Amino acid sequence: MAAHRSCVLWSYCGRRWSWVMRCYELPGLRSAWAGGQLGARQLSQKKQATETHFGFETVSEEEKGGKVYHVFESVAKKYDVMNDMMSLGIHRIWKDLLLWKMRPFPGTQLLDVAGGTGLAWVLGDAEELPFDDDKFDVYTVAFGIRNVTHIDQALQEAHRVLKPGGRFLCLEFSQVNNPLISRLYDLYSFQVIPVLGEVIAGDWKSYQYLVESIRQFPPQEEFKEMIEDAGFEKVTYESLTSGIVAIHSGFKL
Amino acid sequence: MGHLGFLLLLGDRALSWACYEFSPSETLQSAPRPERFAVSARRFSRVPAAMATLLRAALRPLRPPPGHREPAADVRLRGARRGTGLLYPEHIPTSPLQKVLLAAGSAGMALYNPYRHDMVAVLGETTGHRALKVLRDQMKRDPEGAQILQERPRILLSTLDLDKLRSLPEGSLGQEYLRFLDVNRVSPDTRAPTRFVDDEELAYVIQRYREVHDMLHTLLGMPTNMLGEIVVKWFEAVQTGLPMCLLGALFGPIRLRTQHLPLLVSELIPWAVQSGRRAPCVLNLYYEQRWEQPLRALREELGITEPPMPSGPWPRP
Repeated sequence: MAAHRSCVLWSYCGRRWSWVMRCYELPGLRSAWAGGQLGARQLSQKKQATETHFGFETVSEEEKGGKVYHVFESVAKKYDVMNDMMSLGIHRIWKDLLLWKMRPFPGTQLLDVAGGTGLAWVLGDAEELPFDDDKFDVYTVAFGIRNVTHIDQALQEAHRVLKPGGRFLCLEFSQVNNPLISRLYDLYSFQVIPVLGEVIAGDWKSYQYLVESIRQFPPQEEFKEMIEDAGFEKVTYESLTSGIVAIHSGFKL
Repeated sequence: MGHLGFLLLLGDRALSWACYEFSPSETLQSAPRPERFAVSARRFSRVPAAMATLLRAALRPLRPPPGHREPAADVRLRGARRGTGLLYPEHIPTSPLQKVLLAAGSAGMALYNPYRHDMVAVLGETTGHRALKVLRDQMKRDPEGAQILQERPRILLSTLDLDKLRSLPEGSLGQEYLRFLDVNRVSPDTRAPTRFVDDEELAYVIQRYREVHDMLHTLLGMPTNMLGEIVVKWFEAVQTGLPMCLLGALFGPIRLRTQHLPLLVSELIPWAVQSGRRAPCVLNLYYEQRWEQPLRALREELGITEPPMPSGPWPRP
């Protein structure tokens, strides 16, 4: 079953991290993006240097991209092991739920951003995708959009490359809605996760950045508004595991 | 209900204490505190990018002129820019709970994978507070030790004059140390910097202990295989009292091949313990001023006898 195969691909999702997008079709049609059909995109001028957050640190926007890159360069080797250890394997359930929501079928043109490894991949920038307009049926991003310097631009790009009728799906850490669980979650995040990172991967700071970046990401309602601002309609979200993660969905109509 | 409430309050206080991170200058907090943030979470900004920090460490020999404490100034500068709380460049402030978790995790991982030297280091840092204080006070009482604390020499490739060491006579400490580095294919620069010690002077003491570790290999004539490391750990355990050394000495043999255990137990450990007891504190030796001293003479001075050699070649790890 197509969805099952996608699930299998998902489980290899983070094996090797890079700013990579995965563009693949489910069995049925041959790949439609070979070679020069993508259409080159001109890189825009460098943006004005303003300040933004890197976890709880304040950095310039120019710096942030590089710092995030180094974080993921550093965690790449033990990425899967750490994901399993930190979430006790629950991240696989979250990703399965995302796929279930998507219900892809043969012929779906799917773009998965920040996906790690996959069938056919393209190196690019989420804020400036190297694809033409109105190309994909579904755009997904799982645990990636949080690390983008300009989330609004990534959302606008998502809107641009989707076909009319296309769907945007985002799986991301969000805000916990239960005060007791929130306290336990904070405790676990800040006391245990960096320790796990140090003991298993020998890298405290990357995992400190991870838990801090989660806190810096907007909560469900605010992110929903950001998606609507980018032009998506019928935007909904579903919180999972008391709001530890949320799946946001929007349509380009 | 009253009792339950009291217990909950007590538990909450204990939890807050366990998760509260050490901060030497709270009033100077400049990092903004995000609203969604619970009490147990971190309040500091983070140390700058790892690359920049490594570059700084490599370019700057940690040898401030007497009377002028350069590292403190550096911390102030970083503090002003990034928020305070860092006592030294590599410092990562940790709560009591994190230290407990780190100690347990690093102990387990070091036993599971003895090649994780960084885990041994972390274990030392998180469990060594009391022992380090005793060591520091011992160093202060000794004239040579006090000089080391004052001048803070570092044993790094950048601070060692390798050509000069190579030119020293055969049998001198410098020559033997270089030979040890070559034969075992190790470098003094592979020592990880201290991160989890919440006192700047004690951080130096443990850093010095780590850098002196190679010296001890040279003094004791022990190679860097598992057996040699365990012998050196026994010597260090007696000398320093660091829990990490004690744990390593006691549990290290679990990872050793059973064929080596008789030699270890009957000859090497007693010799190491006796030598450790006889010798004065090895952290009080200003090795950088003793490169020319013949190794034999230094061993005599410390009361370290020749190591009991096995009848055949050294056992492979």
